[in-house]
Amino acid sequence: MWFITGASSGLGLEMVRLLAARGVPVCASGRRGPGDLPDDFPNIPYHACDLADPMAVTKLADWAMGQGPLRAVVLNAGAGFFRPLAQETPDAIARVLAINLDANIALAHRLCPVLSGGRLGLIGSVAHKGAAGMPVYAASKSALDGFGRALAEEWRGTVKLRVLHPGPVATGMATRAGRTPDFADRVFLPPRQTAAALLAALNAESGADRQTVSFLRVGLHRVLKGAA
Amino acid sequence: MKVLVTGGASGLGAALVAACRARGDEVCAIDLDPAERSWAHDLGNTDPAAWAALADWLATQGPFDLVILSAGISATGRFETIPLAQHQNVTAVNLAGPIRLVHLLESGHLLRAGGRLICIASLSCFTGYPGAASYAASKDGLAGFARSLRRPMRKRGITVQLACPGPMDTPHATRYAPDGASTKGRLAPDRAAQAILNARSFTIIPGAGPKLAAVLGRLAPQTLTRLMGRVLFSKLK
Repeated sequence: MWFITGASSGLGLEMVRLLAARGVPVCASGRRGPGDLPDDFPNIPYHACDLADPMAVTKLADWAMGQGPLRAVVLNAGAGFFRPLAQETPDAIARVLAINLDANIALAHRLCPVLSGGRLGLIGSVAHKGAAGMPVYAASKSALDGFGRALAEEWRGTVKLRVLHPGPVATGMATRAGRTPDFADRVFLPPRQTAAALLAALNAESGADRQTVSFLRVGLHRVLKGAA
Repeated sequence: MKVLVTGGASGLGAALVAACRARGDEVCAIDLDPAERSWAHDLGNTDPAAWAALADWLATQGPFDLVILSAGISATGRFETIPLAQHQNVTAVNLAGPIRLVHLLESGHLLRAGGRLICIASLSCFTGYPGAASYAASKDGLAGFARSLRRPMRKRGITVQLACPGPMDTPHATRYAPDGASTKGRLAPDRAAQAILNARSFTIIPGAGPKLAAVLGRLAPQTLTRLMGRVLFSKLK
């Protein structure tokens, strides 16, 4: 059984669709209620959860463990705002860090006993190197990167852990986050192909603990494996 | 010159406070323990009243020409054996707190144009740090934050710098190093403080050994993290 967070939209949704289409057993969580999911959302176990709420995160981990033996977990959910620091609010800062970092630490902590022999994917962002337009989001993704690199070494031989940094992807997240769409959006990566490249990177037997899944990587995957 | 130092009561923070006072700066400090010209505040605390009180105090002391974010805690051991609350406290004190403090300084215009903001991260940003996963997360996060602020702040005449010190001869290092670890080769905090205050580059790595480690970490990050796992993590178990 695969378990994917942040599956109600964007890359998470595409990953769930791809896995379901391949007949892989998968369960998922997302911010949206079951009634607000896209019409073509695959028929899989789904748990709505606000990852900024620590109690809900614990419940989510227990729910996922109850869905069957977990073979792979993809902590993909993320939130953020495209705006300078002065326009942030303390509550928004706390929320972004809670969802992008603390919830993932909590899920890894609680799921650890059942992950043995399996895989854990942490979905970061190319913004982890620093992004002037979204300092809090970038900080949260850098933090996830540091967390993943440390834990990948701690768990080597037990759990195959990878931090994957996709982007920029045309999921609409950037626009929702407050970025004005411009010419750049037309060259952003297609979500489905990026999701396919992420799954391939996670499934691969060998590969670095940290990988960037950007234009070159997604393009190569598309050429070698065909459009997913 | 007006200086604000977080974590000014011990270790590198105390050394930075002493070095600034020695050159005639007016230094304010934030730490858990109140001391002379300092404010008692837990950066991991999310209570709005505590932050409002801190904001009021900063408004009476600022604006500042130099702000140094030095406060930090750690939690070492196997990730899964450390209680979750401890991990969350590390990310709160080392990352959420500093971001909120810079936000507070920004919205209150408490950082003067022509001033400097120095974020104290860790050499772990280059080497990785198995055995301190949440600490590594918080310090990489702070580094990403500093890199993101660099350009927008420079436009307003504020220099942002990122210091990544290696092991130092401080209470912090002694508290979190493996039992019986040698203190040889650890940098003296007053020397690290001097190097940080004198540096003009964006990334500051005090000491020759840590500089070499950072270069290796840039060239072969995963190899160095595996080495860290061998020499550090295996001793923490």
